[in-house]
Amino acid sequence: MPEPTRLRLPIAPTAQGSSPVSAKCGCHAVADRTAGADAPVIALVGAPNTGKSTLFNALTGSRVTMGNWPGTTVEVSRGVWRSTLLTPSCTCTDCSCDSSDEPTSLTVMDLPGAHSLDAHSPDEALTRTLLVDGPADERPDLVLATVDASRLAHGLYLVAQLRELPVRVLVIVTMADVASQRGVTLDPASLSTTLGCPVVVVDPRRRTGLDELAIAVRRILTTATPTPRSTPADDDQLVLDDDRFTWLSAAVDNGTSQPDGHRRTLSDRIDRWVTAPVVGPLIFLTVMWAVFQVTTVVAAPLQQALDGLFSGPVTDAVAAALTATHLQDTWVEGLLLNGLVAGVGMLLTFVPLMALMFVLLALLEDSGYLARAAVVTDRVMRLIGLPGRAFLPLVVGFGCNVPAISATRILPDARQRLLTALLVPFTSCSARLTVFVMLGTIFFGNQAGTAVFAMYVTSVMLVVLVGLILRRTLWRTMGSEPLIIDLPAYHLPTLRLTASVTWQRLRGFLKTASGLIVATVCAVWLLQAIPTTGGEAFGEVPVGDSVYGVMAHAVAPVFAPAGFGQWQTASALMVGFVAKEAVISSWAQTYAAEEPAPGQTGVLGEHVRAAFEQSSGGHPIPAVLAFMVFLLAYTPCIATLATQWREIGPRWTLFGIGMQLVTAWVLAVAVFQVGRLFW
Amino acid sequence: MSGPLTLVLAEITAGTPTVADMIRNTGLPDDVVRAALDHLVRSGRVTSSELSIGCPSGGCGTCGSALDGAPGCGRTTPDTLSGRRPGLVSLTLTRRV
Repeated sequence: MPEPTRLRLPIAPTAQGSSPVSAKCGCHAVADRTAGADAPVIALVGAPNTGKSTLFNALTGSRVTMGNWPGTTVEVSRGVWRSTLLTPSCTCTDCSCDSSDEPTSLTVMDLPGAHSLDAHSPDEALTRTLLVDGPADERPDLVLATVDASRLAHGLYLVAQLRELPVRVLVIVTMADVASQRGVTLDPASLSTTLGCPVVVVDPRRRTGLDELAIAVRRILTTATPTPRSTPADDDQLVLDDDRFTWLSAAVDNGTSQPDGHRRTLSDRIDRWVTAPVVGPLIFLTVMWAVFQVTTVVAAPLQQALDGLFSGPVTDAVAAALTATHLQDTWVEGLLLNGLVAGVGMLLTFVPLMALMFVLLALLEDSGYLARAAVVTDRVMRLIGLPGRAFLPLVVGFGCNVPAISATRILPDARQRLLTALLVPFTSCSARLTVFVMLGTIFFGNQAGTAVFAMYVTSVMLVVLVGLILRRTLWRTMGSEPLIIDLPAYHLPTLRLTASVTWQRLRGFLKTASGLIVATVCAVWLLQAIPTTGGEAFGEVPVGDSVYGVMAHAVAPVFAPAGFGQWQTASALMVGFVAKEAVISSWAQTYAAEEPAPGQTGVLGEHVRAAFEQSSGGHPIPAVLAFMVFLLAYTPCIATLATQWREIGPRWTLFGIGMQLVTAWVLAVAVFQVGRLFW
Repeated sequence: MSGPLTLVLAEITAGTPTVADMIRNTGLPDDVVRAALDHLVRSGRVTSSELSIGCPSGGCGTCGSALDGAPGCGRTTPDTLSGRRPGLVSLTLTRRV
């Protein structure tokens, strides 16, 4: 089996003008791999992955693996195609010549993959040099253009350009089987008529159609060079390109047929509704409501069971261990029982809920629905004049604000990045979800899911309204660009990917609970253990008289107009500045430390309800709604601030903190003051 | 009279949100619209970029740029437009001076 010669041709960045390479070049390196100086030269051209090199191997009996990597030296293979069917003396129509006929040899050149002759890459530059810019007498005698039948239009642009040149062109259609599977029927005769050149269907892998190709090559080589296709007399490249597309579109129309014209897939039919301007957002809201409702309802029994585990057997076991080691009634008992077991334990009861939520979101993501949600979100954002691409960091923000702020880097404009980074903290992250679910369960019972959903809607509204205000005040000249999204088809979610994504997110939640929250719990315990008056010992002071309690007492009046001016509630918001998960643990710690009697740690909900009752003057529902809105709008966590600091600098980070606190307070007061009129 | 390329360019300018909408609005075959988009990207009239952040936890093969399970890092052609892989790709008009 002959080995082909491989030429390494360094291509100049611009292929215009004279060139050292030509198709008929008698370079010493290729002399022994050509069919002779007088033999016709055939050039194989086509886009990458159209079966061009496989065809070259089938014709020349070579085994060549080609790789077209932009920016690297371009490789060209040459080989000899020998066949009796190429013999010019044969005049059969339906050829079955005797194999004893002397075979004819042709030199075949396998040019690198090229989408066009526009020289956008070194590969295309070489093709252009050989076929367009080189001397006319050095051009190949015939150009074989391979075209993928399943992507006919993609390959025909190059054919359109070839047909504008004074060269013989023969179109080889490959992958007809793939096109057939997609319901596309090919009509080579009609295609040939429209293109004005012969068309042969070949399957290079199965080596079918090679005889027909040889006969077609033999015939075209005996004809004169065809007249080039006429093009518009216009210098505008777009006009010229448009003319080529009009021509190739006509060829696609004439040369192919589909059972029902523009065949619409199931995905297309679903998308008709799911991405519709009005119905789309409604479907999105319904889906998200269902996610929250299912999460809270299904996870509730599991959460109660875990709560019972931590407040019962785990607490008893730790207490027994402390007694056995004679550490009961010491500060160690306060740290372990009231701090770690009560605080971290309470947070861990949310693991089933988070797991279920992550599973449902992973299913939506893997099925392709979230991509549609992106379209819906994008449309709303564009409607209000926000940058279209900003939807992605904002969508990520509903998982965690930290990567969302990093994701603002995808935005090309510095002002768009800044605006989006300031809006991301208003997206309700999964850490806030734990607090929403807890308060929703305490105050709204079976309607907890709806309450949580309302918070997410509020979050979207906050992003939109604050974005609009900033756009109208600080960045009035910022424009938004049109954006097109190519939607992937819907598919059944895979168990492996769903499990993998769920575990990754759950692991992040557990990591936060076991790292940052444990540290926060220890810090809160320390502040609660330090007395502010001289008569009390470390670790034996009532929480209200500790450093923690005194600080909370000082802050609490600020929240009185919002209906939650109680010091325990205020202290939870202070701790929430570090991380939102810590709101729950600090509540559990505070109330456990206040009433450390056995059996009292499991009634956190009663304590919280009583606190809101008291601070709101008998209007707990508007007060808790105001609290949830405040929690949604104020600074998400210390990690988010650190990321903002890195991405947009200290000045805008401080501006963001101020803006969030003012927005949160004003909204919370408004919700409570208006709400108390009704509840 | 406008050809397919001009029609597709007009759809982008008008803010048509998805390729499917574009196919519906222009009445052109799917293949022609995708080929036109590919051409506009190659010729620099439209900028194409993957809508993804960082690398996926499921390995390179699960990335939006991956093709048949193989990593997609460094790809230069917008294969997604050709329906060869499932990633989200955004196309934005290139501002010409």
